[in-house]
Amino acid sequence: MTYADYRDGKPVIITAALTGGVHGKEANPNLPETPAEIGEAAAAAEAAGASIVHLHARRANGERAFATDRFQAVADAVRARTEDVILQHSTGGTGAPDALRAEPLRTDPAPEMASLDMGPLNRYQHLTSENTRGLVADLHAEMQERGIKPELEVFNGGHLNESLAILDDLDEPPYLNLVFGGGTTTIPHPRNLLTLVENLPDGVEFNVLAFGPHQLPLTTMGILLGGHARVGLEDNLYYRKGELAESNAQLVARTASVAEILGRPVATPAEAREILRL
Amino acid sequence: MPCPYLDYRRDDADHEFDTERAYCTAVESFVQPMRADICNDRYDLDHEAHCEFFREAER
Repeated sequence: MTYADYRDGKPVIITAALTGGVHGKEANPNLPETPAEIGEAAAAAEAAGASIVHLHARRANGERAFATDRFQAVADAVRARTEDVILQHSTGGTGAPDALRAEPLRTDPAPEMASLDMGPLNRYQHLTSENTRGLVADLHAEMQERGIKPELEVFNGGHLNESLAILDDLDEPPYLNLVFGGGTTTIPHPRNLLTLVENLPDGVEFNVLAFGPHQLPLTTMGILLGGHARVGLEDNLYYRKGELAESNAQLVARTASVAEILGRPVATPAEAREILRL
Repeated sequence: MPCPYLDYRRDDADHEFDTERAYCTAVESFVQPMRADICNDRYDLDHEAHCEFFREAER
């Protein structure tokens, strides 16, 4: 993906990260938590231009859940309410035992995509999500067995090293999600997005995820560089400074509008499947 | 054993929820769902080792 892809008007894939597992309604009451709420949010996001929905599962009180049956309930609710959107299950899980991390891959049917965290990530003051190479390999192997395309979560430049090391094991095209924010994610600045993109080999498709106020500027820059965009309440609670986002769809609609203004059409789910060869 | 500072509440001055949610009495605030797993010593998590709120409160 390059600036030439932008010039050529290649469709941009918008992923809506609807719920996450870190914060919840205590941070923004509009954040969907139950399967029904997530399903409704997915439908609205698809209508606004999202071709992929990134999914987590929760307990009834909003707390995290990793069990297959919880993901099954979310996936069923999303499929019942959407037209053709691509489901991407998270395999992230700070503090969760390795054995639980594969559970989201075991729904029926399997999700078309899943996230794959490429290395350690600090949380709070005394906690690290380790994401060892062994766990990454095990999760990737199960994804391959079940025909699930991984989205490699590149939280920082070191994780890009980790991703490049397994590039030959990935189905074409590799799909990398470049993450910008605080802590162990890449410092959110345009020059760092440029640097990471310049280190991507030919044939790699990339997505941009930037937390909070960096979501709009860095996803916009990613669109200009030929990449794809992830937005949603998992990553950003606000529409603008001091104003909570009303919905995931509101954030998706803004990015779809930006892409159209910049001359890149928004990918339909069918076009996203073609680009990612799902 | 869950953190002694953990409580489950439906509301405070700024929030009102349909279900009871994890509330930290050490910092007097609802906590993030991920942190609630630490409060509950759920999965591989332990509030004594992983929670700065608990550690600060116990100093």
